[in-house]
Amino acid sequence: MDQVQKTFIKLHSKMFDLIIENHSLLLLLEHFEIDFTVNNKTVEEICKENNINPEIFIAIGNIYNGYNPSKITNINNDDIHCILKMLKNTHQYYKQDKYPEIQEYVRELYENNNSAEIVLVEKFFNEYFTEVIEHLDYEDDIAFPYFSQLLEIDMQNKNIDFSAYTYKEHHTDIESKLADLKNLLLKHLNLKNDLSLRRKLIFSLFELEFDLNVHSLIEEKLLIPMIQKIEKRKHE
Amino acid sequence: MNNDFISIGIAEPSDIIYDGLSNILHKSGINVRLFKIDSIDGFDEKMNTDVVIINPVLILNKTKEFKKIRKVFHNIHWVGLVYSLFSNDTLSLFDDIISINDPCEAIYKVIGKFGDEHPDEKVSKQQEQLSERETDVLVQLVSGLSNKEIADKLNISTHTVISHRKNISLKTGIKSQSGLTIYALTKNIISLDKLA
Repeated sequence: MDQVQKTFIKLHSKMFDLIIENHSLLLLLEHFEIDFTVNNKTVEEICKENNINPEIFIAIGNIYNGYNPSKITNINNDDIHCILKMLKNTHQYYKQDKYPEIQEYVRELYENNNSAEIVLVEKFFNEYFTEVIEHLDYEDDIAFPYFSQLLEIDMQNKNIDFSAYTYKEHHTDIESKLADLKNLLLKHLNLKNDLSLRRKLIFSLFELEFDLNVHSLIEEKLLIPMIQKIEKRKHE
Repeated sequence: MNNDFISIGIAEPSDIIYDGLSNILHKSGINVRLFKIDSIDGFDEKMNTDVVIINPVLILNKTKEFKKIRKVFHNIHWVGLVYSLFSNDTLSLFDDIISINDPCEAIYKVIGKFGDEHPDEKVSKQQEQLSERETDVLVQLVSGLSNKEIADKLNISTHTVISHRKNISLKTGIKSQSGLTIYALTKNIISLDKLA
């Protein structure tokens, strides 16, 4: 089947139709803390109700729908706070929801197949999980507060070791280990049974990968350029 | 010419025709990469183009420019995509002609000259198997040696070690060391007691 391009989200798109077409948009709503019962409302109405700049909602929504991030022209501090809050929510989703879920599947797999390979897979995943948590904590505890500060006060001396480059490095690493796991599961591991468990595990990996991808795009293509713009303005 | 895929530029003003042709090419089983060309003005070679499929409308009254471009990019195979009447003079400017009424097979025949029919199969077969030397490097790698240490041990340069490592990751699809350890174990390249 050919891939069919998803709708490009616009102000007057009906949220319900968009969800029917791409149910991953439920994640978008969840991350923005918007209720799933969308009635017959348009994107514009939903944004207004939830106090979100529609330009940002649409830009991020279209990343979920597979489009390259578009430039956001008019942003203010509230918008950046809004993006930061949204990203923090996605961190919660990884930490409390997706990773534990995958961890549980790997553990079950290990219980059913007490083989050396699976022991190592579990170890691999747990180490990887720890790494991810470290990165997310770095964002939550250092990067994001730095961004917020940048908005509030005139920062004369910034002693925060932050670079967009390190950011990207982290992301690449997180994504490549996830790819390793998928490769092992689909290409190399000698497993015989547990089709349903393995399917759940692989589905979860794909779901996680999808959201992580969107997440990096938001940070690298939307957030960081905004931050750099502000930094530049402050230095002038 | 690239071995992995055929790079095809399509210069066709109609979106309907462009999308239809793209669909046909993607379904062909030939590994293709497509990109759109809006006009031949300022044509520049992208991605080591192998083939350009072009609607002759775009070169009407521009034959001089077109001949010049052909001369510069003489490695490109120029295919006319014809769905209205053109003079033989115009049509003779192309290496091949595809007509709008052609069945898919005729199009594959024109494009297929530039690549293997089933490149995916071939590539994957030769790509999957690690060479003896790569296996040696893998064994050392998963036992925790650095590139330099592996180079010394196997009597090869660090540069060679790095290139082997690249190939290992390419063939297995696995980049991290811990992932490769699991791979080596599943293929019985190492045993568990060796790891301890």
